[in-house]
Amino acid sequence: MLVTGIGLSGQIKLKSSKVLIVGSGGLGCPSAVYLAAAGVGEITLVDYDEVELSNLHRQILHTEDDLGEPKVQSAYDKLHCINRNIRIIPVNQLLDSNRMKLIMSKTKYDVVIDGSDNVATRYLLNDSCVLNGVPLVSGSALQTEAQLTVFNHQNGPCYRCLFPVPPPPETVTSCGDGGVLGPVPGVIGVLQALEAIKIIVGLNGLLSQRLLLFDGINSTFRNVKLRSRNPNCAVCGDNPTITDLIDYEQFCRASAHDKVGNIDIVDESSNVSVQELFKQLGKKIVIDVRPKVQFEMCHLTHTVNIPFDDIIKADGVLKIQQLINNITVQEVYVICRRGNDSQRTIRFLHDTHQDSMMDLKNVRGGLHAYSQYVDADFPVF
Amino acid sequence: MVKVKLLFFARARELAGRSEDFITIPEKITCVELLEIIVKERSLQEIQNSIILSINEQLYHTDDIVNLREGDEIAVIPPLSGG
Repeated sequence: MLVTGIGLSGQIKLKSSKVLIVGSGGLGCPSAVYLAAAGVGEITLVDYDEVELSNLHRQILHTEDDLGEPKVQSAYDKLHCINRNIRIIPVNQLLDSNRMKLIMSKTKYDVVIDGSDNVATRYLLNDSCVLNGVPLVSGSALQTEAQLTVFNHQNGPCYRCLFPVPPPPETVTSCGDGGVLGPVPGVIGVLQALEAIKIIVGLNGLLSQRLLLFDGINSTFRNVKLRSRNPNCAVCGDNPTITDLIDYEQFCRASAHDKVGNIDIVDESSNVSVQELFKQLGKKIVIDVRPKVQFEMCHLTHTVNIPFDDIIKADGVLKIQQLINNITVQEVYVICRRGNDSQRTIRFLHDTHQDSMMDLKNVRGGLHAYSQYVDADFPVF
Repeated sequence: MVKVKLLFFARARELAGRSEDFITIPEKITCVELLEIIVKERSLQEIQNSIILSINEQLYHTDDIVNLREGDEIAVIPPLSGG
């Protein structure tokens, strides 16, 4: 490599280096492209997920032809075409403590790249890197914002030094729900590759003891100066209480992925199918409780948008009552994206407005089910 | 009392409903008290245990005593976990 400060010795270091990239998504894809092209000798890719259409705006190694394929396989195929002189190891697994231990015991990595999409995996990678003495290049992104730092390197802090307590799960927004503007994780993934190269080659100026905040709306980068590791940290402190990997899903009270699970909190008699909904459209009142931005993107005709957030916080209940008072039919269908917020709405109204005449029915499976069983042309995201 | 600028990031931005504004607070204050005031004034209770505070781009810890000056910038930073 011609760049001053890297040269032949730097290229040899890259060639003999090993990098673990966790997540082959919005961060992992751009990161992997640059590391493969730079000639990192061995790259291990870990992801359990399959390529979906909604990934392609940011997960740049995947194409429409890869839909349904394991992401690590799709990523492997493209990276192999970029550089055939390096070893790429795809691991198609959902990472947990035991699998992480196995991966870290087989290979001594120079750097781990955190391109994951959930809190549990972030703590897992942090603790594993601390216990194995490996620097962790941690990137994250949501909507139009992103964060980047190097943890556990040159006496710098680890993730737990900054955030000893995981955020309450209900306060964590995933990219699947909140959305993410494609170039935002792109910028951070590329910078993760840059930090990894600098660590491997031994360059200064790392983002260790610094947290980079990227605001894609204002196009600003802020550097927050951090401190050295916290001597009282539970994992990297002087007297650590965490000396082995734990159950991170339990610790975070959240799954180690960002998929939404289905809840079941209304009586069976309160459920109606999407086929029944289809028959009743235009006859019954149907309230769509998704956020306004989602309703604007696509909605069924004869449905009224009263967002769940308005119902629990503001004047949404009043709107529902006004809507119902205008007609004689009291049965009201409630629908949302996947059938969870519609149940939460019904539960909330049950608990807070027991005297109401409303007979609320949950449209089971929401608009995703509608698209699957009634009208395949109805868009899902 | 001094008037300082607050910068909100990620979930704190959503909860506060804005990316920045101003607040008037005592100039000598512990970081814990500072956090308590900001959490209360800007309704950040749900994330109060997972926020870091930086003042003029320097991280502060809970037991630090802070000497604030007019126009200082305090960033309220929760973790992001998406990717």
